[in-house]
Amino acid sequence: MKRRLFLLAYLLGCLIISVSFGQKSRHFYNVDSEKKIEGRIQDIKMEPRYKSTAPFLVIKLAENGTQTVYNVEISPIWFFDQDFHKGEDLTVIGSYYLTDGKTPSIIAREIRYRGRTLALRDKHGFPNWRGGQMKGKARKRGKGKMGL
Amino acid sequence: MKRQNYLLFFYIPLLGFMIIFFAFSSLNRSYIKGKVEKLVDEQLQATAGILKVNFSHLLKENYTPEHIFAQFSAEEDIYYMALLDENKQILGWRSQFEGYLPLSEESLKTERTWIIDSPAGKIFNSFSSFSLANSRVYYLYLGYSLAELEEMMLRSRKNFHLIFGIIVAVGIFFSVGLYRLQVHYLNKKREWEEEKREKQRYRDMSALTSGVAHEIKNPLNSLALLFELLSKKAPSGTEEDIASGKEQIRRISRIIDQFSSSLRPVELRKEKFLLEDIVSDVHASLAREATKKGVQIQCASYPDIVLLADKGLLRQVLHNLVKNALEASDGGTVFIRTGREKKRVSISVQDTGKGMTKGEKKRAFEPFFSGKKSGMGIGLYLVQKIVQAHEGQIHCVSEEGKGTTFIIEIPGG
Repeated sequence: MKRRLFLLAYLLGCLIISVSFGQKSRHFYNVDSEKKIEGRIQDIKMEPRYKSTAPFLVIKLAENGTQTVYNVEISPIWFFDQDFHKGEDLTVIGSYYLTDGKTPSIIAREIRYRGRTLALRDKHGFPNWRGGQMKGKARKRGKGKMGL
Repeated sequence: MKRQNYLLFFYIPLLGFMIIFFAFSSLNRSYIKGKVEKLVDEQLQATAGILKVNFSHLLKENYTPEHIFAQFSAEEDIYYMALLDENKQILGWRSQFEGYLPLSEESLKTERTWIIDSPAGKIFNSFSSFSLANSRVYYLYLGYSLAELEEMMLRSRKNFHLIFGIIVAVGIFFSVGLYRLQVHYLNKKREWEEEKREKQRYRDMSALTSGVAHEIKNPLNSLALLFELLSKKAPSGTEEDIASGKEQIRRISRIIDQFSSSLRPVELRKEKFLLEDIVSDVHASLAREATKKGVQIQCASYPDIVLLADKGLLRQVLHNLVKNALEASDGGTVFIRTGREKKRVSISVQDTGKGMTKGEKKRAFEPFFSGKKSGMGIGLYLVQKIVQAHEGQIHCVSEEGKGTTFIIEIPGG
């Protein structure tokens, strides 16, 4: 019962955050700026990214060698049922952009870790949680709302 | 025509029809699809034109791209849109799918429309420019849902498959039916031709044997007269030999008579009579012979069956069957039963004699075939002829060592 209440409070919190903060990302999945980053997880966060959608899982990934830290946008939290830990190695393929002109960021299309590969978007950036290659994995949703 | 040729004869036209239907439907669907896509293209370009006019007004009134997009957020068919400046730098964008804006450097090169496939279905893309009164140029990139068109095409495809499936199923059903009908007809035709040939052969044989019988009968009559005269003048002691000769002549005459009657076509002289009358007649005429052989005749007649048939011939049929049964029996009982079911009358003669072998049973009704040493093989043949002349049927059930039953069924009663 306690666990259920906690879950309910958590989901309610997510909803409030998503509605009140609205769209934060100004970037779309640009196929022209796709790159591959190999690095180690430094931090795991949940952030509202698109208007009227659930918060997204965002990780801070320190690139091997250069130690450049990227903000990697993974997927809505409800879609991602895997377990991440700080300090884990991760490879990301995604669309690169700079947040506010300075913070390197990635919209992830595919991630590889612990020998597994997880496809998050198709090659044009269409999100798999909207029914794509991972139809079996993602829950089917209706049409989304326009979000900047 | 071989069996394979029949199949080809029926299936090739069906296959041809299906190919023509398939080709015609495919071309038709392709033509309609092309036309519809063209119409959609025109319609969407017109929509883009309206949007551009609205955008121009709003930009002129210094609305930010975010505010402008907000005006069109209720448009569910617009999956995504982006506003770009004259250097093709994105000023703002919106998408129904998080982060999805399939815009690349390649797609920004020229103003054009194109269709892309996505997991959300086909999307009509339009990239075109518009300018404000101050000559400032903007570009509008639109992604318009073609879900309804796709749904329509899908329904059309489904209907086509359904109709095609029905045509194939019905076609196969009718072809198989026609093929079977044709095979049945040809088999019947073959049987009929065989029967015709058999009848002709029988007619030829009848004519020949009738001629032979007639030719034998004349000298035989003379011979009978001679023996009659000889018996009056014969010296004593030879009477017995002459009587034996006369008996042999009578036997030959009887055989020729039977022969002739079996070859003649059966002519029915129909009259109304009680079936139990002929049963009683036959019983009475063969009672002495039965007693001599130690065989009991038992009759079980269904009462008051009135038949419209040839009484004399039916009596002959029953007489032949009961006589055969007595000859096959060594003691025991011969049963004569009559019955009626719906509009058919049945007469059965059952004995408890030696029965027939399978081969004998198969050939029982053939002319000149007999299981008895002294038989000519005409009795059962005649019986069958008479029954068939009455549009009836005769068949026998026999088991070796247990006896035989002949069952006659004739219409009427």
